[in-house]
Amino acid sequence: MKAVARLVWAYFTGTPVLRACTIVGLALIAIDLYVVATQPGSGQKLWLAVLGLIFFFVGSSLMPVTFGRLARSHSVGVLPGGRVKLLLSAFITILLVALPVGILSPASFISANSSLPELMKDPRVRDFVLEVTALMFSSAVLFAGWMYLALWFLTSQRDMAGLFKGLIVIMLVIFSPAREIHDFNVSLTWNLQQIAILWFVFGAGFLLWPRFKAVRARRNREWFAGLTRVFTGRTVGREFDVLLGTANPWLLVAVLALPLLLMVRLMGQVPSAWLFFLTIFSGLTGAYSGQAAERSRALWLRGHWSRVELFVAVERSIWRHNAHVLGALVLVIVGMGLYAGFPPVLVAAGFSLVLLGTVLSTYLGLMITRGLRWVEIVAGVVVMLSLMALAMLVGFEDVDLTTVFALEVCMIALAIAFRSVARRRWTRIDWMECRPDRALTARGA
Amino acid sequence: MFILNPQSGIPIYRQILEQVRRMVASGQLPPGTALPSVRDLALRHTINPMTISRAYSILETEGLLERHRGRPMTVASQAKNHSQLPKRLQQIGPLVEQTVVAAKQLELSEAELVKAVRREWEQNDD
Amino acid sequence: MTSNAVEASNLKKAFGEKQVLQDMSFGVSPGDVIGVLGKNGAGKTTLLELMLGFTAPTAGAVRIFGHESYSLPGDIKARVGFVPQQDELLDQLTVADQLRVIASFYPRWDSELIDRLCSEWGVNVNARIKSMSVGERQKLSILLAFGHKPELLILDEPVASLDPIARRQFLEQLLTLSTDEKRAIVFSSHIVSDIERLANRIWILKEGRLDWQGDLDSLKESIVRLHIRGAGPELPAFKIPGVLNVRRDGAFATAVVRDWTPEAQEALEKSASVQIEVETLGLEEIFVELHR
Repeated sequence: MKAVARLVWAYFTGTPVLRACTIVGLALIAIDLYVVATQPGSGQKLWLAVLGLIFFFVGSSLMPVTFGRLARSHSVGVLPGGRVKLLLSAFITILLVALPVGILSPASFISANSSLPELMKDPRVRDFVLEVTALMFSSAVLFAGWMYLALWFLTSQRDMAGLFKGLIVIMLVIFSPAREIHDFNVSLTWNLQQIAILWFVFGAGFLLWPRFKAVRARRNREWFAGLTRVFTGRTVGREFDVLLGTANPWLLVAVLALPLLLMVRLMGQVPSAWLFFLTIFSGLTGAYSGQAAERSRALWLRGHWSRVELFVAVERSIWRHNAHVLGALVLVIVGMGLYAGFPPVLVAAGFSLVLLGTVLSTYLGLMITRGLRWVEIVAGVVVMLSLMALAMLVGFEDVDLTTVFALEVCMIALAIAFRSVARRRWTRIDWMECRPDRALTARGA
Repeated sequence: MFILNPQSGIPIYRQILEQVRRMVASGQLPPGTALPSVRDLALRHTINPMTISRAYSILETEGLLERHRGRPMTVASQAKNHSQLPKRLQQIGPLVEQTVVAAKQLELSEAELVKAVRREWEQNDD
Repeated sequence: MTSNAVEASNLKKAFGEKQVLQDMSFGVSPGDVIGVLGKNGAGKTTLLELMLGFTAPTAGAVRIFGHESYSLPGDIKARVGFVPQQDELLDQLTVADQLRVIASFYPRWDSELIDRLCSEWGVNVNARIKSMSVGERQKLSILLAFGHKPELLILDEPVASLDPIARRQFLEQLLTLSTDEKRAIVFSSHIVSDIERLANRIWILKEGRLDWQGDLDSLKESIVRLHIRGAGPELPAFKIPGVLNVRRDGAFATAVVRDWTPEAQEALEKSASVQIEVETLGLEEIFVELHR
């Protein structure tokens, strides 16, 4: 059990930055809880606590990667009950991350009604509060599990297949509970059943994985290799892009096609949700630019670029790639606009959102020259929230165009700021410190 | 031609020097014999050519080898005579030292050692 | 001095608080083959990557062909080849594609040489890199650095994953490259026997300093083990100049010394009235003794 506890601790304190996130998150939650405890019935909305929850979750965002790494390591197979302990640590982490939700839900009741403690003496009230708490907690456990899965696909696999899977999961994650809440379809039993089934399947799969691998290794996978050849694209004339990973934009477009279709089918009627997802997709271009710094290592000795010139060449290559993706998304917008009969304002807004999303995430990614640190995380969260807010704003019936426009101008300014920060960082780029683990090996070597 | 051990504590150039000197003095390398080129030797033994060419240069200054343009180095024609007594004595120096040290460790007297040497000398006379 | 392939003066490198390299100065001349030895964590990779401008020195300067590494111009980069410790191969490409991609960056790429080496070294040109073993990947990494016939070749543990036959093939190829006297090679390796064959100069990196930089030949002549015997039953106390470590055992002592010369031996024998027998040491022994 000590090993499990140590693992969980490691998930929340993986790097100094993430440790700080965890602490900040807990602090914010504590503050709001304190306020509620001392001023019951104030009707205080628990925004700080929600923000704290986000930070708390971000603080454990390395859990999927660490879990994956440990799962593949030799030691876990050798230690007694290694895989079981690992599985347990993941489950406990999810429980911990969902715990604030469980605590906050009665807290929000208390905040709304100062005489709640007395009311609780009534069994019906008490049952109701408990049921809602259990519901919120179990939903949070489910949601957190899916989010971690999505995170794992996004952070541990640096190729298109992984990105694809991550996207699908994100879609399902946000869609499924969203629809359930919309249809008011939630129930505690259903949640518990889902948790039980999912964890049973995952646990079984995880524990039996070594045997599965042995079986699979014997099969011939040449047909799949042929298929991947189609997806690597042309290399002639685009060698710079090949090394940078931006040689084949159609890959990302193809990867986005299915989720886009799904999204259109499921959410076409709800413009704000639709815009919301579109913005998320435009943000995926950041995944490419986020890798650019590391991958440019291979380019340093191969060409005549100075560090600044390399930044310019990389920027150009990324935009050549992103332009294709942007084009595809614009086509989708226009197509949707015609198909669902959206007002032109919405289409225009969609277009600008997608553009903003791409520009902001591209330059945010280019800012990542020393691994993910404070500035990038905060900036990323801010950008993401603003874009989502913008998407929802636009989706409303009575949209205030001036506000939207003003916000968009601010975001353009932000993008310009990101670019100059990125450019400045690239003039001093240090390839021995590009990735956190590379920096660690640098210190060791 | 040479037995070279890169892992030895004796630098390779010195191993070559000793072997060439010994072989020239004993007649195993008669004057005019062509030695393998630096590159050939380096590739055959997989060792750095610079240490080989260092040995060859030293041997050339000692007069044991002659350099020719476009052709491999050869043993100098006057090589045997050039090897004067002090040099030849220096060659055998290490062996003599080893023998004396061993004799002293075995607590043999100088006379007993000389007797053993003489016996060996007469036996080996052919 | 400006004709040196690499020139460094008072080079220092720190990552955060950790000082990895402390005050190094060195030069690499064309035609040198330099073997860099050091324990794990001594700073070998940092040194090599610093030389190529992947990172900037905290103090001091390092120059390649007269230009500062951090801002190498394009024509100098084309004269340099590098084999990094972690390969930079793209998993989804085939060997042929990978070679083609890298070749496109160099105007003077010797495809005949690469083709010949591929067949000699048993590298399957149509294999997908994802399916290759570590040894095959390493061979490919090495090939990628040879193709443009660089004048300065820097290799970071290039043979760590190769079997003895593959290592021998690689050494032979490196030798062929270095017999052209204009080329300079710097490589770090754990495999001391390879360094002993290939290098003419040795750098021993210890705790971020160049504990030794000089000819391999001089190194072997300088660091020796002395077997000392005194006249009486107990060896008197005396000071041995340049001693690295010493072990006494009654009338005998064994000492490993550096900067040994025949004159030093004579002087010691006379002053302490002892008899000294000299044992020469191979490079691995020397390395171990320097780290005791």
